Amino acid sequence: MSAEYDVEFVEREDREARFLVRGVTPGFANGIRRAMVADVPTMAIDTVRFVENSSVMFDEQLALRLGLVPLTTPPVGEFGEDETVTLSIDVEGPATAYSGDLVSSDDLVEPADENVPIIELKDGQRLEAEADAVIDRGKDHAKHQGGVAVGYRHLQRVEVEGDLPEFEDEESRIIRGVIEDDGELVSTSEFDHDLSNRYPGKEVRIEDVPNAFVFHVETDGSFPIEELVTRAADTIAERATELEDAVQL
Amino acid sequence: MELRVTESTENELSIEIAGEDHTFMNVLKGALLEHDDVSAATYDVNPEQSGGQTEPILTIKTEDDADPLECLEDGAVTVREKANSFKNAFEAAA
Repeated sequence: MSAEYDVEFVEREDREARFLVRGVTPGFANGIRRAMVADVPTMAIDTVRFVENSSVMFDEQLALRLGLVPLTTPPVGEFGEDETVTLSIDVEGPATAYSGDLVSSDDLVEPADENVPIIELKDGQRLEAEADAVIDRGKDHAKHQGGVAVGYRHLQRVEVEGDLPEFEDEESRIIRGVIEDDGELVSTSEFDHDLSNRYPGKEVRIEDVPNAFVFHVETDGSFPIEELVTRAADTIAERATELEDAVQL
Repeated sequence: MELRVTESTENELSIEIAGEDHTFMNVLKGALLEHDDVSAATYDVNPEQSGGQTEPILTIKTEDDADPLECLEDGAVTVREKANSFKNAFEAAA
């Protein structure tokens, strides 16, 4: 009884997308969402060896900041769980140390953004350190979350019921998400989230479309959206296979 | 994934599934409830700080002498199929 899903993109960029999934139960939608947040492994700095730190912050504080810098994550199978990638940083003040100053030993693992400030160094201050990045899951530390701001909403269907009474003041009706209007998908941002802009003088009824969810997914730059979603589905399938094998024994 | 049966009768089974959380358990429970021979399926999980039993315990009740363990296996297959078909549908759109 394998379910039939239907996926349709509403908005799509490298790091952010909105897509509609039909035929999905709320429980399964939430499983996918949770898997995207907590179960898709990404690279992040885990250990830092300081050679020199004459900045105003302690080693530990800088180590936390370095850990939170999003790193690009290599394709599946390229990296084992105990393998590390070394990144080094050497900045002398007066200057600001940015994530872009991190030099990686592996082309596959680079800072996803060049412009994350790490610390401002004054005259004569210097930061020199070596950091080891490891692969892990968001469940263990938030710095390994590949998906940020992952959520879903019901698709909403709008039906025009009739005209509003002629002399009545029009009230705004604010909704957010994506609406379905005669089979056409319209993001509410197109009419300023206000139905009275789209249907002036009309009386409208809104209802949730059963088992149709609009996912909003944003990644930290570790990998593109497509990768995050497919890897999330893979982690669920992997665990199901594992359970199958365990039960058969 | 370590399994430990805590209670087992002819048509009822309680099983501890170590290392899993709501992400997988809720999807699995949903799949089991869609199974024709399953009359009840639920899971219980305590927060980490509570002490004691913190691994999820899945309980399945079946009808018509169906083996709960076999239903569990079917449930796992359903979850795998759902995940794969979701992935395929997504890739087709992407």
